[in-house]
Amino acid sequence: MGSLSVNSAALIRDFLYETGRYLLFLKLVFRKPEKWRLSARQFFIEAGKLVINSIPLIALISVFIGAVLVIQTSNNMTSPFLPKMYIGYMARESLILEFCSTMVCLILAGKIGSNISSEIGTMRITEQIDAMEMMGINSANFLVLPKILATTLLNPLLTLMSFIMGLIGGYLIISLTGMIKVADYIEGLRFAFNGYYITYSIVKTAVFSFIISSISSYYGYYAAGGSLGVGRSATKAIVAASAAILIFNLILTRIML
Amino acid sequence: MISVSHLSKYFDGKPAVKDISVEYSPGECSLIIGASGSGKTVLLKSIVGLLEPDEGEVVFDGTVFNKLPFEEKKKTRSRIGMLFQGSALFDFATAMENVMFPLDFFSQMSRAEKIERAAFCLRRVGLENVEGKYPSELSGGMQKRVGIARAIALNPQYLFCDEPNSGLDPQTSVMIDRLIQEITREYNITTVINTHDMNSVMEIGDKVMFIYQGEKRWEGSKDEILTADNRELEEFIFASRMARELKLRYGNGNPSRD
Repeated sequence: MGSLSVNSAALIRDFLYETGRYLLFLKLVFRKPEKWRLSARQFFIEAGKLVINSIPLIALISVFIGAVLVIQTSNNMTSPFLPKMYIGYMARESLILEFCSTMVCLILAGKIGSNISSEIGTMRITEQIDAMEMMGINSANFLVLPKILATTLLNPLLTLMSFIMGLIGGYLIISLTGMIKVADYIEGLRFAFNGYYITYSIVKTAVFSFIISSISSYYGYYAAGGSLGVGRSATKAIVAASAAILIFNLILTRIML
Repeated sequence: MISVSHLSKYFDGKPAVKDISVEYSPGECSLIIGASGSGKTVLLKSIVGLLEPDEGEVVFDGTVFNKLPFEEKKKTRSRIGMLFQGSALFDFATAMENVMFPLDFFSQMSRAEKIERAAFCLRRVGLENVEGKYPSELSGGMQKRVGIARAIALNPQYLFCDEPNSGLDPQTSVMIDRLIQEITREYNITTVINTHDMNSVMEIGDKVMFIYQGEKRWEGSKDEILTADNRELEEFIFASRMARELKLRYGNGNPSRD
C-alpha cells in the first residue's frame, strides 16, 4: 500500500514536471522568428516532408477502410425493412465523424510523430541544436514552429482527402461486387448531410496535429543518451501523442457535438 | 579577453567543475587539458553559456556574460564561433549552406556576398569543390574544416573548440591544430580549446590549463609542461608508452623538433 502511494506520487510529480517543461518549451517555440524569410522557407520544406509525403499512405488506408466499412455495414443490415441507402449513409458518417480525423491522426502520430522526434533528437545528440544556440539562434523556434504550423494548418486538407478517398473506396467495392445498387449508395451519401460535421472533423484534425507535432518535437528536443535515447524519445512521443489525441477527442466531441 | 572567476557547476549536487578561475587573451591558443570525464567539456560549455554555471562569473571583454538576459546573450553569442567535437554540421544543409547559415541570420549581406564570404571561408580552411556536398559525404577531417569555416564566417572575436581533433589521424590532427593557430593569430581571436591530445599541446599550447576531477591543478605554457612538478599532470602526460619512451630518451626536457 505504502509503495503504491509512493509510486503514485512519483507518477504525479513526473507528469507535472513534464507538463511544466512542455509549456515552457512551447513558450520558446512561439517567439517571433529571427528571420521570417528563413522560417517561411522551413514551413514549405516541412509541409512537403510531413504533409505532402503522407498523402499516399492516408489515401491508401482511406480507400481500404471505406471499402471495409461498406462491407461491414452491409453485413449488419440484414433486415429487409431497412433501405439499402443507409449503407452509404453509415459509411459517410463513420468516415467523417471518427475515421478521417481521429484514426488518421493516430496513424499520423506514428508516421510523422516518430519522424519529427527522431530528427530533432538526432540533432540534439549530435550537438546540431547546441551549434544553433551558440550562434544565438532560438533553435526551438526555428526548428519546431514551422513543423507545428505546417501540420496544424495543412493536415485538415488530409482529412478532407481521406473522406473523399474513403467514399471512393466504398463506391469501388460496391461497383466491383454489386452488393447494392450504386444509386442507393450515392443516395445514402447525400441523405441528411450535416455540413457542421466537416467543421467538427477539421477542428479535431487541427488540434490533433498540433498535439502530434508539439509533443513529438518536445520529446526530440530533450532527447538524451545517444541513439538509444533517440529511440526512447520517439517511442515516448508516439505514446504520449496518441494518449493526448484520445483524451482531446473525448473533450472536443463533448464540446462540439 | 575572457575572464573566468570561481566558476563551479554541479550535477545532482556533485561538482563537475569546481572553483575554476582563468583568463584568456586575444591572439593566443589556450588549451584546457585533462582526462576524459575530468570536466573539460562542462567547463567549456559553462563558459559559452550552453550550461548555466552554478557559481562564479564569465566575463567577455568587461561584460558579465552568464548574468545577461536571453536577448543580450544572443548578441554576445554572435561574436562567438564554436567548433564541436563531432563537428555538429547541419545534416539538412550542404557544406556551403552550413557556412552560410550564420550569415543568413546575422549579416546584412546580399546573397551574392554571402556566397562569396562562405566560399572564402571554405578556401581559407583548405577546402575547394565541396560546396555542394552534404556532411555525410565528407571525411571526418573535412567535416572539422567545414565546422571551422562556419565558426569563422561571422569574423568572431572568440573561438571555442571542443576536442577539435578527436577521431582524426595524427597528420590531419596536426593540420587542424595549425589551422586553428593560424586563424587565431591572423584575426587576433581569443581561442579556447578542449583537448586530451598532447600533440596539440606541444603544437599550439600558448597557455595550458590542466584540470583533474573538475579542479584546476596546473597552469603554464607548453614549454613548461614537461617539467611541471605535478603528479596527476605527469601521469596524464606520460600515460602512453611512446611518451614514456621519449621521456627516457630525452629526459624531462623539451625534445627538439629537429
